[in-house]
Amino acid sequence: MSLMTEHGRDRRRFTAAVLGADTAPAPAPVSPRVSRGVVVDATSYMLCLATPEGEERFLYERVTSFWRGAEVGPEAIRPGDDAVVLCAHDGRLVAERVWAQAARVSGVITGCEGDALEVDPGHGRPRVPVAVPYRSSGRIGVRHPRLEPGYAFDAVGVWHGGEVRAVRPATTQPPYPVAATPQRPPTPRFSGTVSGIATWYDPAWGRATHLDPRARVHGVAYPALDRVGHDGCDRRTPCAPLPLLSTGATLRLRNDCTRAATVVPVIDCAAADSWLCDLCPSCGGQGAGRIASLTMTGFVALGGRLEDGCFNATITVAEGEG
Amino acid sequence: MTMPEFIVAPETVDAVRQVQLPLLAALLLLGAAAKTLSRSEGSGLAVLLPARLRRPAAFGTGVVELVLAVGLLVLTGPWATVARWGTAALFAGSVVVLVLVRRRDPEAGCGCFGGLSRTPIGWRTLARAGLLAAAALGTLGMATTGWQVAAAPTAAHGWVLGIELLLLALLSPELRDMASRALASQPCELREVSPRRTRARLRSSDVWRTNRPVLLADEPEDEWRHGCWRFQRFDGMRHGRRVDVVFAVRVGGRRRTAVRAVLVDRESGAVAASFGAVTTHELLGPPRRLLSPAEAARRDAARIDAERAARTLRAAREHPAGRAPAEPRDGAAVPAQGVGGHDARDSDAGRQPAGG
Repeated sequence: MSLMTEHGRDRRRFTAAVLGADTAPAPAPVSPRVSRGVVVDATSYMLCLATPEGEERFLYERVTSFWRGAEVGPEAIRPGDDAVVLCAHDGRLVAERVWAQAARVSGVITGCEGDALEVDPGHGRPRVPVAVPYRSSGRIGVRHPRLEPGYAFDAVGVWHGGEVRAVRPATTQPPYPVAATPQRPPTPRFSGTVSGIATWYDPAWGRATHLDPRARVHGVAYPALDRVGHDGCDRRTPCAPLPLLSTGATLRLRNDCTRAATVVPVIDCAAADSWLCDLCPSCGGQGAGRIASLTMTGFVALGGRLEDGCFNATITVAEGEG
Repeated sequence: MTMPEFIVAPETVDAVRQVQLPLLAALLLLGAAAKTLSRSEGSGLAVLLPARLRRPAAFGTGVVELVLAVGLLVLTGPWATVARWGTAALFAGSVVVLVLVRRRDPEAGCGCFGGLSRTPIGWRTLARAGLLAAAALGTLGMATTGWQVAAAPTAAHGWVLGIELLLLALLSPELRDMASRALASQPCELREVSPRRTRARLRSSDVWRTNRPVLLADEPEDEWRHGCWRFQRFDGMRHGRRVDVVFAVRVGGRRRTAVRAVLVDRESGAVAASFGAVTTHELLGPPRRLLSPAEAARRDAARIDAERAARTLRAAREHPAGRAPAEPRDGAAVPAQGVGGHDARDSDAGRQPAGG
């Protein structure tokens, strides 16, 4: 996991010195509306989170919604849960939506035994055990009719004792083996703007999110990292025509559904996202291909819903040409 | 019923039949090599088989093709007939398989030449397989072997081969696919470039040679990519101060404009000097493009009149305050070199943009 923020700042400074300030915009500050930590106390009207800044308390309103594998009530949030809180527009005190124990597994199936899978997320990360419970197996089976080694897998679920219980699929890709995914068609021109879908990933793997700085880091994992300097990044050529970048570069990212935009630094390799080429059904976009994988908090801050797994997005990378 | 002689001569028919032997053998060999060397899961026969049988099936088909190709080339007598019937059966069978594959997965390629055949199966692919089956049937009953035909070609063979290759090229989606991939150059933002190539382009540039004395090490401290540009940062020492020397090499850029550099003071973070083109637009007035660094340095050196500079300095020392020396009279001896302009150029000399 590379979180080279200092390093990235230097690279941005030097890129701007050569190509112009426009090419390396400063990353936008993290939205204060999103918080993440470990639940210390949860009642029917209030949530208390342990975060790196100390304890934070959030009140519930009548419209506050909760997700823990499904839409649940406030009583389902338990102490010890990893929680992401989106605050209401009019104040940091009031929670608008709370996700507890949210997890995502994207990668290639490496092992399959009954309803238990093992998924390789790529980029040298440890393999994740996944359980597909009977109650969600029908839903998962719609998008993943073949749960066999070699096939891509992408699902949203909840952490449960070190394994992920898959709840709903997060891809619309037809079930190809990863080795047989079609090649990218030739791209004659590049305009600096690419449309596709943005997804999310959890750099902290749901563990110790009140201590781990990666849990709240601001940035994206990018599926088209340059091969030099990123030896562990076992990406393929992604199906969207993405410009090659290195960690530290910044890109403008817009949520096409909500029109919210931000500037995010590239912090990591999104190997699994380069293996998939799908559409996002959440707001009817046409752009196929994954263009960026936001961290959990960044995804929520841009208006995404973790259980959907994606939103249609447009990225712009300034080149400073001409 | 016999065909009229003035339409198709019997020797032409013989030539057509004979050419099929080496041609079919060559196509089978190509197919066998492509199937065994490149991955073709998800195309052709593999679509109809379970995953564990795909690789063995592709390999087995390749071996059968190899055996048939050798049979067409060297065998005579009844064994030759077996090889020719086998070839005809292979191509006729592949028409059936391709129709089934197309029905099962309309997006799948035919896999005829392994990973090269990724274009979805269409009427061209089916027609090609049918044509080759007919060609194999046409070779039945001939005494010659493929090798004999290939070893002693005639002009008629050449004509027939040319026409048939043209026909096959029209029916082969692989060729168009390969041509479009080869001809359509990728934009520089998406193009993968080896570090060795970047290094070679950098080291052969004027900007590198100009800054080489400043560098403390030959290997970069950091290397990164931003779209078309690959950056390399080196440690450097300039006028006793530590600087970061950042080179940017444009992927696929023109030789004169491909390399830029900035020297950034490490302590203050200020850009001390920059080299290379600052715009890709042409300059509006003459000169239409910037000078090369070597030429710019030579012209700068010519502008500085050392004797006059020494004389001015001496005069300034002799007349330290207020009183103007006898400079204006001397100034006439240096035409078109105004004092102000001269000084401005002197101070700028070290920051002359280089590389044009």
